[in-house]
Amino acid sequence: MSLDDFGSLEGTNTGRGPLHRLDARVKLVAAVAFVVAVAAVPLGSWRALGGLGLILAVLIVLSGASPLRLIGRWLGFLLLVGFLAALTAGGRAAAEGMSWGMVVLNLLVKNSLAFLMMMVLAEVTPWNKLLGGMRRLGAPSILIATLSFMQRYIFVLGDELARMLTARRARSFRSRGGPGFAMLSSLIGVLLLRALEREERVHAAMTARGWDGTMRALDD
Amino acid sequence: MATTDPTPPSPPAIRAQGLEYHYPDGRHALRGVDLEIAAGESVALVGPNGAGKSTLLLHLNGLLPGGRGAAVSARHHGPAPASPRSRRAPSVWIDGLEVVDRNAREVRRKVGLLFQDPDDQLFSPTVLEDVAFGPLNLGMGKEEARRLARECLERVDLPDAEDRPPHHLSFGERKRVCLAGVLACGPSVLALDEPTANLDPRGRRRFIQLIQSLPCAKLIATHDLEMVLEICPRAILLDGGQVVADGPSRDVLGDPALLEAHGLELPLSLLLEREISARDRL
Repeated sequence: MSLDDFGSLEGTNTGRGPLHRLDARVKLVAAVAFVVAVAAVPLGSWRALGGLGLILAVLIVLSGASPLRLIGRWLGFLLLVGFLAALTAGGRAAAEGMSWGMVVLNLLVKNSLAFLMMMVLAEVTPWNKLLGGMRRLGAPSILIATLSFMQRYIFVLGDELARMLTARRARSFRSRGGPGFAMLSSLIGVLLLRALEREERVHAAMTARGWDGTMRALDD
Repeated sequence: MATTDPTPPSPPAIRAQGLEYHYPDGRHALRGVDLEIAAGESVALVGPNGAGKSTLLLHLNGLLPGGRGAAVSARHHGPAPASPRSRRAPSVWIDGLEVVDRNAREVRRKVGLLFQDPDDQLFSPTVLEDVAFGPLNLGMGKEEARRLARECLERVDLPDAEDRPPHHLSFGERKRVCLAGVLACGPSVLALDEPTANLDPRGRRRFIQLIQSLPCAKLIATHDLEMVLEICPRAILLDGGQVVADGPSRDVLGDPALLEAHGLELPLSLLLEREISARDRL
């Protein structure tokens, strides 16, 4: 696992293009509306999907995001989606009277449009701004807090995992192959325990600074 | 050893009397700790691992009796306890204020607790938000909290760090941000858990100077005995949950037999000092 995968969580991508400067709420609502539109397109309406794809392409250009990086991430996701689409396409194909292949392709395209739109949103909106936008749109504060803690501690836990892997490698003498399944599962177990202990300490630290169960944001 | 307390005109910054604590697993962590620390005094809390130093610090904030985070935070390596059962022992007073749930808010404002691992304490997405966390919880307005947070960041010499994600800061910088977050609550007592651990020499020096520049009463749990000699006129030796010695740092840390018996060793500076003066006498 590489922490680069969480690059867009870093919140360092600020202010390059016109999309970066847009209010996070606008971007959030627009992106969700786009995804809903994509989901609402009936199977086989290629023209509608093409139109939405065109909008997406324009946005990608405007965002200044590196298409290669977008595609790289998208391809990773595509495998999973393709697998699920292949599993579910049979029933849909029979019901709609389309060929199985066409249904799979349709599902893949719709999924890709939605996924890429979210990627673009992440590209042009730093994580903190995104959470701030969600908060101002009235998302539950517990959800915001959870996402914010996730962003903060994913790196800490990632570092911890990397250290454990290094320590394990230093004592294992197999020259090829990754860590074995048994080792990986024990590492994940240890990581979970450490995360729980850390949670207790973080909670104590929050309480020590007067936390009473309400998350208060600095900006509104 | 006798305490060197001058009789303070105001109530002591910290007073503990017969402080007892059992870990949820039944282990006896504190066995009747008595201590008194005057306003503005700097006192070191030394002792071997597992002596109860961190547990004692958490008690200053009322974080243990009845609290949910019981015991865990006190032990850095132990397993998480199964249940947060704990016994109430309201035998700590901060500025004359008894540490009980009823006073929790006021007590936590008065006591600034600095944890050993800055990642435990620095949980917000950006530095500024983290420093403002305490003030916001204390009911301060957003603009005021923001201004205070900036001020505190300047005090710890990190004026440009406010928008940086904590993950991108060095260990020493994170430690200083944590201190800023604690200072932002306006504490009159600082409880520092291993403030110099894991810092590089330059980071350690800076942190020591910072601690020294703060006028609050300080209780510093540490293994860094050289720092104790430098900034704490008084030291308390804790072992097995009991105060074993309490007196001037140079006396407590200058007693090789005492130190040996409690898992510590004579600080190098004192050792060399003695060797030199012995040679001079020859």
